[in-house]
Amino acid sequence: MSGAELDWNEIDVPVELPEVVDQISYQRVVENAGATWDYFPGHFDPTYAQSQGNPTIYVNTMHLAGFADRVATDWAGSGSRVVRRSMRLAGSIYAGDTMVGRGRAVAKRRDTSVDPPRYLVDIQIEVTNQHGALCCPVELTVQLPESPD
Amino acid sequence: MDQSYQLAFGTYEDALRMVGVASEPRIAATAVSGARIQLFAAMVHDRNRSYWDAAFAGEKWGGLLAPPALLMGWLIPPPWEPAGRPPVAGIVLRVPLPGTTFINAANEVEFPEPIVEGDRLTVVEELVSVSPEKRTRLGVGHFVQTQETYRREDGTVVAINRNTLFRFTPGAPS
Repeated sequence: MSGAELDWNEIDVPVELPEVVDQISYQRVVENAGATWDYFPGHFDPTYAQSQGNPTIYVNTMHLAGFADRVATDWAGSGSRVVRRSMRLAGSIYAGDTMVGRGRAVAKRRDTSVDPPRYLVDIQIEVTNQHGALCCPVELTVQLPESPD
Repeated sequence: MDQSYQLAFGTYEDALRMVGVASEPRIAATAVSGARIQLFAAMVHDRNRSYWDAAFAGEKWGGLLAPPALLMGWLIPPPWEPAGRPPVAGIVLRVPLPGTTFINAANEVEFPEPIVEGDRLTVVEELVSVSPEKRTRLGVGHFVQTQETYRREDGTVVAINRNTLFRFTPGAPS
């Protein structure tokens, strides 16, 4: 729940983030196309997806990114903001799959290159499917509210 | 296929000649809206108050926060438009290559400033690189790297997005 706000000063790294598990039904994949306006046929047409060498339709990059952001901000709170994300699409999440997100905060930094300084936490997230296959490794940085000194 | 995904075809050499080309600015068809913010958050099952609680988000960000992950979605044209399609598709689709389809391979993005409800984004896209021919489990093709710079109406850069896509022809792995 993004209710309790983390205090940057109180975070000890490394720390494991709560695991997030999400069942990706056909409806969710179709919702994905509708919400992002990404009507590339691999995201809604199983025949097309199969012609590409995929078993069926799959979620797009924006959905995987949104899932990674959710893993990070469920933990860091609604007052945090994703300021950087790097992800590799190593495998796809198909309709019918279960998407599992496991995050680990690995570093915290006070970025003094900007004024006022930014309070940052670097997080590594692995998005896997129900078979344990790594589909999407993610490196992400969240900015937390300025801490009271 | 939806005509917004029609690809340009050509050789690797044709594609290399396009490296370094930057597009004319493209402006989003619609402004960032609460409805689309919440449709996306609902799709992701994300309860982040910045997407749902207008009073909280207004105080914190100046309006409902656009989910960072939806960035590319603001510049995708709607699935139908009354005046027909704008003449220019995204630059990545205009790279002349032999591959008949594509799939995304990697994405790296920075958000210097929050994007909020009401912002209307403009993007400039640049073709950064095209790899030599590669074979993957999906087929043979080329990795195409682009960089997109997103600005809001006052000219402030709100996001810089680097994307790598695999443009390929399906085929059995060797």
